[in-house]
Amino acid sequence: MISLSDIPARGGSPFTRSMGLFVLLLLTAPFWLEPIGLYQYLGMEIAIWILFALGFNLLFGYAGLHSFGHGAYLGIGAYAFGLFQQNVTLNLWGGLLAAIAAATLAGAIVGAFVSHRRGIYFALMTIAFGQVFWFAAIKLHSVTGGEDGLLGIPRPNLVVGPLKLDISDNRTLYWFVTIVLLVAVLALWRLVNAPFGRVLQAIRQNETRARFVGYNVWLIKWLTFVVSAGFAGLAGGLFAMAQESAYPDVMSLHQSGLIVMMVLVGGGLVSFWGPVFGVLLYFIARDIIGGLTETWLLWFGLMFVIMVMVRPEGLAGLFHVLRTCLPPGPRKAVGPAAHPGRA
Amino acid sequence: MIELLPHIVNGLTLGLLFALIALGFTLIVGVMEVINLAHGSLFALGAYFALATIGGDWFASTEFGIWWLGLPIGTRYATALAVGPLLAAASGMAIELCLRPTYGKAPLYGLLLTFGAALVVEEVIRLVWGTGEQNLSVPQAINGAFLMGGLIFSKYKFFAAAFALAAIALVWVFLERTPYGAIIKAGSHDSEMVRALGYDLSKLRLLVFGFGAALAGLAGIILAPIWGLRPHIGLDVVIPAFLIIVIGGVGSFWGAVLAALLVGMSVGITGAYAPAWSMMSMYLLLIAVVGFRARGLLGRKSALEN
Repeated sequence: MISLSDIPARGGSPFTRSMGLFVLLLLTAPFWLEPIGLYQYLGMEIAIWILFALGFNLLFGYAGLHSFGHGAYLGIGAYAFGLFQQNVTLNLWGGLLAAIAAATLAGAIVGAFVSHRRGIYFALMTIAFGQVFWFAAIKLHSVTGGEDGLLGIPRPNLVVGPLKLDISDNRTLYWFVTIVLLVAVLALWRLVNAPFGRVLQAIRQNETRARFVGYNVWLIKWLTFVVSAGFAGLAGGLFAMAQESAYPDVMSLHQSGLIVMMVLVGGGLVSFWGPVFGVLLYFIARDIIGGLTETWLLWFGLMFVIMVMVRPEGLAGLFHVLRTCLPPGPRKAVGPAAHPGRA
Repeated sequence: MIELLPHIVNGLTLGLLFALIALGFTLIVGVMEVINLAHGSLFALGAYFALATIGGDWFASTEFGIWWLGLPIGTRYATALAVGPLLAAASGMAIELCLRPTYGKAPLYGLLLTFGAALVVEEVIRLVWGTGEQNLSVPQAINGAFLMGGLIFSKYKFFAAAFALAAIALVWVFLERTPYGAIIKAGSHDSEMVRALGYDLSKLRLLVFGFGAALAGLAGIILAPIWGLRPHIGLDVVIPAFLIIVIGGVGSFWGAVLAALLVGMSVGITGAYAPAWSMMSMYLLLIAVVGFRARGLLGRKSALEN
């Protein structure tokens, strides 16, 4: 089995072929989505979930901390955005900052509780905290609007210096989301290819050893949790704008589990781009299989089970193996995993 | 104090029912070191199979069906109590066969695979039994309410609590007083040694998973009349089970029972003061316990910590 660290890190410039393809797909999407029978809103939804999934993979794939309650931070971001628009002032940047700040704060508190745990116990604690937030969102009627959530969240104008743009229709909002996503992807790329990202992988492989080498493992885990929650909050703010509402459903265990499924199926454990494949696959499954049969989740679930059984490295791992197997040429073979049996 | 009494009784019965759910879960975690997120789905499957056995709408037009529906509900209910867990055990064994490629890898994969299996089971239930809420009928003898000390209690809840108590005792006897129990306990302690002694480890795992699934199915049949039956009950039920295992300590029998009673009591007593928030108390209990004692109340070291 291969893992993230077996694939040589490129480091340096983020402008690789994969990045080029990714940018190209994002920038052209509004022009081909409708002709091939899909709709504009889907592109935006996918972009937001990619942002969420990539931020989540910092924690899940790179640091090997299996959070099962990450939907909570997306939800908190969405609520914070909505509450800011409705109670403070109608401002795009203010709302997004509030979303990031709220999710970061929640992540900082939860992170302080969970950062000295690892493995399944970490997962269990994140589930418990995720459920607490979800429960609170449902029960605090006066703030969150209960089960219905906050409705009628506006899409404020984009103000950059003297420029003022109306981004209330799906297409212009898509452009805005895309720009935010690209900035976030560049930031995440830098982060995981910086020494910080290497330390994360060291912690994933052997936490005790990383501690003995001299890293403050607790602090690094906590920081990763906080940063990852912050990205989820940003995605949540955008999600509130896209949906024009915020509701507790995205915070449920079900949704938090789905994001784990997406990241794993896509191959977040072996590639930076894995989560992107996973999100695409999920939404394709939802919209295309979902158009054919009501029980698309059954088929997605079955596919997921088979994936975990035969190829737990996910789609990205599959591509990687295909690429190293097909041409017998000079390409460097995959080295043996540093710790077989541990992902 | 006296006005708290019904809440304490409620909490105790709830705790016993939680213990019944958690028993199979802790058995599987102990022996296989797999967090079986499909446990709730097996719980739901057991109840739905019982529903199909008692109601029998799908074979009602055959001669056998007419004869079957003519039988008193007590007989049909008793049959369902056997059929439901058996079919749940078969489903559980199927999941165990799927789990085999994940052994020896990080425990995360077992968790993920069973999460996927839970999704699949939920969708299958939707497909077969529909999305609406269903009712599992119970015999007249254990239905209704009775008065005690001026307070009204549900007969069925007492039946369920007594049943749970009996099931806990039986599982304890099975684990502690029979050679099979000894092998299972040894398997959870040191599976390599058990294999070296000549026991077929993969058969042991299959049987333990089946046994755990049967307990889940049994719990489903007992609890369905109280909580109602809907396709997503699996995910609703697995969370408390899961919290109880962690609070009690992974793989510990008495830990699970103790934690279940604690959780039941805390839900029952918060129910007295803030009913809307009663389910929240179990999460706070978990955070409090695990925040201070990582392995839970009676836990011991396990491979899941890595």
